[in-house]
Amino acid sequence: MTSACEATTRVLPGTAVIELSGEVDGAAATVLTAAYERAVTEGPDTSTVVLDFAAVDYINSTGIALIVSVLARARAERRKVVASGLSPHYREIFDITRLSDFIELFPDLDRAVSQLTPPAA
Amino acid sequence: MTQVAPRRLDTFTLASEPGNERLALARVAGAVKDLGLDGRRLERLKTAVAEATMNAIEHGNRNHPEIPVEIEVTQDGDRIVVAISDQGGQQCPEPGDSPEEPDLDRKLDGGQSPRGWGLFLIRNMVDAMEVTTDGQRHTIWLTMRTGGAAHDERV
Repeated sequence: MTSACEATTRVLPGTAVIELSGEVDGAAATVLTAAYERAVTEGPDTSTVVLDFAAVDYINSTGIALIVSVLARARAERRKVVASGLSPHYREIFDITRLSDFIELFPDLDRAVSQLTPPAA
Repeated sequence: MTQVAPRRLDTFTLASEPGNERLALARVAGAVKDLGLDGRRLERLKTAVAEATMNAIEHGNRNHPEIPVEIEVTQDGDRIVVAISDQGGQQCPEPGDSPEEPDLDRKLDGGQSPRGWGLFLIRNMVDAMEVTTDGQRHTIWLTMRTGGAAHDERV
């Protein structure tokens, strides 16, 4: 009944998208760190990292700690982190922990990407 | 007024292995499914149960699979009470799990470990949380009212 965290990284102009699936818990550390690394290596001009949680079914306190670590690193590198696809319950947890003070929340990935990337010429 | 005795809905044990908190939350959700807890409050209870079980596995029973985590679910009037017990006695926090209130600003500046959200989440998810210790037996009691609570107005 448990499903390991997986991440797919896409680099767009100025923005990198990390689509997460499965469970964001302590076991997700390697996956999330590698995904972030790929995002900023393949897109050196990346100013915003989108974490998409639409396919995530579970986030625990250790997963929150991982998200804090990613956010801390991004801030140190002057990058913005936004999130999309959170369920109402996890949006509430982002509010309670104050993560939503630092991470802008979008209802879904399409809206996040359309707002963050320049329209095609 | 007639007093109704508390009704035990389920009692079970789990091996102290990482990941078993998912079994706990699924089983507790099944035990309370007919009690009228709305979806939002059910999700909160599930998160609290998962976090408390994780603490019992890691900090209480130190990931020793042979030491079980015991879980009892009771209905007492309009209250659902989940008791989660381990054999950790009076527990000391793990290094990195700060006993102080998590402060995101400090975590982001490196002044506090990124971890340490477990108890904070539990306290904010349920209507009441209590901890008791009897010798080695350490129990966390989570209470959720089926009819909602003022707690909900805050968020």
